[in-house]
Amino acid sequence: MNPLIINKEYTETIYLFNEAKADLHIVQQEASTLNLFVLHLTDLSCMQHIHIQQEGEHCRTNIYGLAVLKGKQEYLCDTLLEHQKENGTSTLIFKYLLFDEAKGEFVGRLKVQPNAQHTDASQTNRNIVLSDKAKMRTMPQLEIYADDVRCSHGATTGALDNEAIFYMQQRGLQKDLARQLLLQAFAEDIFEKMPIQQQEQARNLFTQRI
Amino acid sequence: MILSIKNLHANIGEKEILKGVSLDIREGEIHAIMGPNGAGKSTLSAVLTGNPAYTVTQGEVLFNGKDLLKMSPEDRAREGLFLCFQYPVEIPGVSMVNFMRTAVNEKRKYQGQKELTASEFLKLMREKKELVEIDDRLTKRAVNEGFSGGEKKRNEIFQMAMLEPSLSILDEADSGLDIDALRIVAEGVNKLHNDKNASIVITHYQRLLDYIVPDFVHILYEGKIVKTGDKKLALTLEQKGYDWIKDELV
Ligand SMILES: Nc1ncnc2c1ncn2[C@@H]1O[C@H](COP(=O)(O)OP(=O)(O)OP(=O)(O)O)[C@@H](O)[C@H]1O
Ligand SMILES: [Mg+2]
Repeated sequence: MNPLIINKEYTETIYLFNEAKADLHIVQQEASTLNLFVLHLTDLSCMQHIHIQQEGEHCRTNIYGLAVLKGKQEYLCDTLLEHQKENGTSTLIFKYLLFDEAKGEFVGRLKVQPNAQHTDASQTNRNIVLSDKAKMRTMPQLEIYADDVRCSHGATTGALDNEAIFYMQQRGLQKDLARQLLLQAFAEDIFEKMPIQQQEQARNLFTQRI
Repeated sequence: MILSIKNLHANIGEKEILKGVSLDIREGEIHAIMGPNGAGKSTLSAVLTGNPAYTVTQGEVLFNGKDLLKMSPEDRAREGLFLCFQYPVEIPGVSMVNFMRTAVNEKRKYQGQKELTASEFLKLMREKKELVEIDDRLTKRAVNEGFSGGEKKRNEIFQMAMLEPSLSILDEADSGLDIDALRIVAEGVNKLHNDKNASIVITHYQRLLDYIVPDFVHILYEGKIVKTGDKKLALTLEQKGYDWIKDELV
């Protein structure tokens, strides 16, 4: 597969809304920007590979993803972000919601090459598991070969906040509605990063899915 | 009668916390509940509001004539029961405005009233914000997210004002408040009080009861109300602590 090149100083915004079959390999040239939005809101079980290389200096990469898995569905998203030159920044937030007996897996690989001084990279993977039988695996892998860099990563997997649900019920909201609001809030974090036009579409896809 | 509790027993897990509480509350009354840490005061509010962490093993509770213990937590709220939480929960991503609009309209629907239009709702918000002197900045944020302890308490009183409950339970509404906030919270409660509704005020300190003057003071001790008096009882506690109560019990 030939990589997609983002030319010097260009900005590319890519939406993978329910297109998990499409593996992605992107090479960023100097001072280019990539905004990537990944939504996996279908029944399809699959593996998805995303490979981003910052080949030039001063590149920016923003990746936001959300997956809602149900039934016996399995979804693996494997990301590899390579900082190869100086002064690159990257932000990645990936979220999974797992119902029923779904299995989710997230691999977040971050590679900072020796030449990539002053890299500023952050990775977050947050997951909510809504049933005892659903399973989430999360694997951050950081390989950092430069010393003057800022890299952070965090991964959490938990249940819906029962205290918050009770609090909302105490104000007169039905339990289902309270859950719904918490799920929306969880997803909104991703949607609000999108341009307005896509937000609407993303919200609709999400609402239909949950 | 707004609330009538008869011989209420409740457990958390296998452990019995409430061991036979009885209490009657009529329209227009303010009841203070005091008692040492761990006595079961928050447990009582949790059980009344239907918190699923607790199980009722005995007793009955009538709320405005209806069987309270049979209702879901949300129906209890819609019937007019409000708990000002000792520790209000932060709900990131759910905006105060949205939350309150939903809460007010859910209650109205339940009571067979029309939902408020956007402009009616905003007018109500404005009115109540003034009443409890809460800052715009707070109501524009997500529910309690990043609020200080005092701001959370003030936000509880604001929500109480919005929902106009017939019975409000204030669980240590005064903890963590500075002097001004204490006055504002207490004044808010007083302004909302009338001869149709009632309040239960749980507190450790006489100080709050200087502002919110109770008709009755109850002492909850080891899961039971062991003494009831008027506001002077709170003064006695302030001076003598709880030891004399223990002595009286043996
Ligand atoms: N989840 C729990 N598991 C076991 N015991 C609990 C749990 N929650 C509360 N308790 C116990 O129940 C008892 C009553 O607690 P409660 O919070 O009702 O007391 P309180 O009167 O409100 O005290 P405070 O004045 O400190 O707020 C305490 O002994 C407490 O340790
Ligand atoms: Mg308590």
